Amino acid sequence: MLFFLRFVMRRAFQNMKGNLLPNLTTIAIIGISMLIFSSFSLIAFNLTSFLKAWEEKIEIIAYMKKGVALSEVEGLLKKIRRFEGVEAVNYVSSYDAMAFMEMKLGHQKNLLDGIQPGILPSSFEIRLMRDFRNTNSIKGIITQLRQLPQIDEIQYGQEWVETFLTLVHLFRITQWVLGGLILMGIIFITFNTLQLTISSRKEEIEIMHILGASPSFIQVPFYVEGLIQGLVGTGLAILFLFYLHYEVLLYKVLFLYITPSMKEWLAGVPILFLPPEKIVLVILGGMVLGFFGSFAASMRFLKYRV
Amino acid sequence: MGFHPRERLNPFIFLKKKGVHVSFYFNMIQLTHVSKTYPSQISALSDVTLEISAGEFAFITGPSGSGKTTLLRILYCAERPTTGEVVVNGIHITQKGFRRIYQLRRTMGIVFQDFKLLRDRTVGENIAFALEVTGHSPKEVRKKVSEILNRVGLQAREEDSILSLSAGEQQRVAIARALVNNPPLLLADEPTGNLDDPMTVEVIQILTELHHRGTTIVFTTHDTDLILRYPYRVIHLRSGRRVENSA
Repeated sequence: MLFFLRFVMRRAFQNMKGNLLPNLTTIAIIGISMLIFSSFSLIAFNLTSFLKAWEEKIEIIAYMKKGVALSEVEGLLKKIRRFEGVEAVNYVSSYDAMAFMEMKLGHQKNLLDGIQPGILPSSFEIRLMRDFRNTNSIKGIITQLRQLPQIDEIQYGQEWVETFLTLVHLFRITQWVLGGLILMGIIFITFNTLQLTISSRKEEIEIMHILGASPSFIQVPFYVEGLIQGLVGTGLAILFLFYLHYEVLLYKVLFLYITPSMKEWLAGVPILFLPPEKIVLVILGGMVLGFFGSFAASMRFLKYRV
Repeated sequence: MGFHPRERLNPFIFLKKKGVHVSFYFNMIQLTHVSKTYPSQISALSDVTLEISAGEFAFITGPSGSGKTTLLRILYCAERPTTGEVVVNGIHITQKGFRRIYQLRRTMGIVFQDFKLLRDRTVGENIAFALEVTGHSPKEVRKKVSEILNRVGLQAREEDSILSLSAGEQQRVAIARALVNNPPLLLADEPTGNLDDPMTVEVIQILTELHHRGTTIVFTTHDTDLILRYPYRVIHLRSGRRVENSA
């Protein structure tokens, strides 16, 4: 078995060396295709991470109507705390709201000169339990809040969360449609490259048939060739993506082109590279595609002649 | 996949276990009412019946288009006969479902007019190839290559490129490759067709020596002068039919 594997690997490398340019072209095309696919994967992965991180921060803010007495606040707090899915409720008075605004404006807080604190509505900041941080649960809580006559307006960032979710779904669909086209492209290119290899090795293959080589002995090196093309191409794609991610995105784009407010928006949300298990899956996927292309070519062109 | 020890050492036992009809005849080759007609309706062989005994040296002769090459191709399963039964080395190759052609070919050596050597390899590498594809270890390969090159008188040329050899030397390499696995049967399709007289004599000398060691040899040729020089059996073909048989 060891001898067979050594022979197979040696022949696979010999075949590739004998057709270096077509093989390098195939590896480059596989690399570019998998780079595009992996980029989509990486973006989708980070978008999903952002969404999860923001979901952690989701709060419902229920603004109270003007003129609600302070004595009613305690009762409202108790009522809201009893809603299913509510983890904590915090009352923010008009004065608290004004102080928060002054803090946010920093040295520009003099813009608030002349504005009475009472102009800002009081509100309840409602933090949800982890399992209830989804659109359906939020809507349920909001329905209950709307039934309270003291509550005026309710905000939870619904527009951008739903838009963002739609964006993520669209992104994933695009990724898989593109992935399907890339998949067909990779199989096609490895099929064609292997056809060239088989053609250039026609004489040797014929002699192997004559000498009594078994079909697997003849075909397996070509399968290995497809696997190597997939492995090297996809491996290079991942390495290049890694370089782009760390060297370009994190150190150049983020630090040079992102505004302070956007940085704050992203604060606590790391921009990650693909996790190891996803990298392994992508590489295995590339190898499988390379194998299928070479398998199809060898079935077509290496039929064991009688 | 790979090399099962049984496959390498005894193809007959392997084939028998796979359900192929194997019998141990005195005749190395037996053709019974064999015909070959191509889809274009050209009849290459027509109702040929012949036997070649184990250890025999037989010339198959006839003009171009007489069916010599077709007959040989049927013997090593490069063609299937349209009708008839063929038994080679005890293996019924016309049996329905017989597919392990590569096993059959390991029981024979085949030599061609155009040598069919790998031009980008050395002499030693060409012969080693025949051993590698049949699962021999590197140690065995080195030993057997050296032995066979001694037998054909090319031991000094082991590291030389095939392209640096004369036609006669290349044919000797082809014969060495055909014999390196010690097959009991050698099929030679016009092996001296591209050689001049002295080289032809060299090649026939090697084959004669093989014959004396017990190898069955089937040698196709259209060269009537050649067959008259040697006291071996001659089978004549004309237009795909066997016309006479002289021993």
